[in-house]
Amino acid sequence: MGSSVWPQCLERLANELTPQQFNTWIRPLHAVEEGAALRLLAPNQFVLDWVRERFTPLINGILSTCNTENPHQLIFEIGSAAAVHPRGRGDIAATGLTRAVTGTAVRVASPKKGFLRKELHADIDHFSNLRREFTFDTFVAGKSNQLARAASIQIAENPGGAYNPLFIYGGVGLGKTHLMHAVGNLFVQRNPATKVVYLHSEQFVGDMVKALQHNTIDEFKRYYRSVDSLLIDDIQFFAGKDRSQEEFFHTFNYLMEGQRQIIMTCDRYPKEVNGLEERLKSRFGWGLTVHIEPPELETRVAILMNKAEQMECTLPNEIAFFIAKRIRSNVRELEGALRRVLANARFTGKPLTLDFAKEALRDLLALQDRLVTIENIQKTVAEYYKIRVVDLLSERRTRSLARPRQLAMALSKELTKHSLPEIGSAFGGRDHTTVLHAHRKIAQLRESDKHISEDYSNLLRTLST
Amino acid sequence: MTATITSPSAIAQLPLTIGLRDDCRFDNYFVADNREAVAALQQHAPEPPSASTQSDTALYLWGSAGTGKTHLLQAACHHAAMLGSGLDSSRATAVAYLPLAQASMQADQLDPAMLEGLEYLALICIDDIQAIAGQPEWETALFHLYNRIRLTGTRCIIAGNSSPHGVGLHMPDLVSRLCWGQVLHLNALDDEAVIAALQLRARHRGLELSEEVARFLWRHYPRDMTSLFALLERLDRDSLAAQRKLTIPFVKTFMQADRQALTQGA
Repeated sequence: MGSSVWPQCLERLANELTPQQFNTWIRPLHAVEEGAALRLLAPNQFVLDWVRERFTPLINGILSTCNTENPHQLIFEIGSAAAVHPRGRGDIAATGLTRAVTGTAVRVASPKKGFLRKELHADIDHFSNLRREFTFDTFVAGKSNQLARAASIQIAENPGGAYNPLFIYGGVGLGKTHLMHAVGNLFVQRNPATKVVYLHSEQFVGDMVKALQHNTIDEFKRYYRSVDSLLIDDIQFFAGKDRSQEEFFHTFNYLMEGQRQIIMTCDRYPKEVNGLEERLKSRFGWGLTVHIEPPELETRVAILMNKAEQMECTLPNEIAFFIAKRIRSNVRELEGALRRVLANARFTGKPLTLDFAKEALRDLLALQDRLVTIENIQKTVAEYYKIRVVDLLSERRTRSLARPRQLAMALSKELTKHSLPEIGSAFGGRDHTTVLHAHRKIAQLRESDKHISEDYSNLLRTLST
Repeated sequence: MTATITSPSAIAQLPLTIGLRDDCRFDNYFVADNREAVAALQQHAPEPPSASTQSDTALYLWGSAGTGKTHLLQAACHHAAMLGSGLDSSRATAVAYLPLAQASMQADQLDPAMLEGLEYLALICIDDIQAIAGQPEWETALFHLYNRIRLTGTRCIIAGNSSPHGVGLHMPDLVSRLCWGQVLHLNALDDEAVIAALQLRARHRGLELSEEVARFLWRHYPRDMTSLFALLERLDRDSLAAQRKLTIPFVKTFMQADRQALTQGA
């Protein structure tokens, strides 16, 4: 039920408060009128406390003038309007355990009310949180992600089998989450009754904290232990949260024993996550661990073409190559740049040409150019190899210095517009042929030496992010 | 003959506290070269996004101080709150505007816990992201909020004084997410546009500000929009109290009184 008195309050409050106070503290409230009570739902405890402490007399004053005989009784609670837009399979009304939609408002995590409205019986409703658009069809395969993709397809066809758990790690915006959803979507497609839950590790932690607060830890355990597949994103956020790790450890063991599929993503190799218990790290490595690297040029072009097609646009090849050459760090930024060009074209009604794309991305690319300087490359490479910049520029030719120097020169040629003599000069007055040689040498080593190839990719990612 | 200077502020008659408020709306924003950004913000209204625009859940707006980011964010809040309600505020949608700069909010008002549960609102506008850049707790809280709004479909506009890469954030996961949706740049106004914007603001306050007076103010005072708008507000108040029109002699009197007040204060 909505409120008829609240609009009058809003009008008066808008006049009494500054626009900022009104927009920050009053507009997030959702009002529900229940008989003589006016229930104000705040999105969180912080807003609730703030409004209650500072604005109660003002709101009560307004309420008493609206209805002089029987002024409404003001009740504050945590909750929000149900006007949210569920995602995924259509069964997602909220992100998991903590919310349950009823009527016009969602009340959540109120210490007085208890955080679970839903009765948790043996047949628990699971919110999958899966995003329909993340499928294998929309995932662009390339050299950088082929292993992760192949493993994911294997798992989708044979859940709970040999590749359990699947641990996908890699830098930001490279498609880890996409792959995870793609597996989940395929599970659901093949067996609509299967219980798949995707969640971010923060949600697991948040749900557990609420369960502890409201003494509903048993329901929490039952919820996560009754899934057929658990897809958990960014597990590095478990670091330092001992109680959550403990609970996740038991959930993990329980699911593994029942041969239920677990997929996890992380921004680094499990052993490298600080603040994670050793027993968890070792378990994460039980199944298959796969790495996703930044996509190479051809894959970046394919990603752009694919994305443009999804947006129902025809992207000229030369624009796709232009964007892909300039933005190398991750897929999100690639998509962001494409979105910018397409939005610009739609707004101005101009045809998509290379010059138009350059103009639309001028700010973005100018900023990147400013960030990547020879000096910055030298500093980053020196830090990476734990050597000093002066050594990088020195005459010394020991292998431990020559390789990083060659890498830095190759990166300078690749990432900046400086001439070869300028690059040579910036590296202790070397000749431009030395720069060319370094570039060729590194290209050759990247093919034959896995370590050099990995170093190059890591440095490239660091410098172009 | 020497004219006697009387501070308009010192004139006995007090202005009434009613006047037109400087409410932030799209229609009283001086658009100039920022048509595309304003159009994108207006279209960034809360509605179920289609499959092809899912990543547009969040939009990033950046520009230097005085380009009107705060104005536009508050305008977006108002627009979204009223949208679908047919201007009937009983059906107004819950939205939030969060200014993160210390200057905008007292220190004790700032807490990452403010971001909890916001994913169930229709629109979230976060201003001055640079104010919390480099603070791990805030960056992590924003990162988590971003992930949550991707699930609920809540629209979000984040504003900063620089692009996502240049704003000083340490968390690459957050930066890449901010680059995912549309990134809009607000161009600063050129000199002529500043004068026109000042006149537009005066008009919305019900104040007549001739081009001549506007140019005079622009020549003699700090030329950023924030200072000029604050100046206009004071002039509005004082001219109302003095029951005088905004003319160059009046402004000169005002300036002199200002200087005197400064000298006495020192």
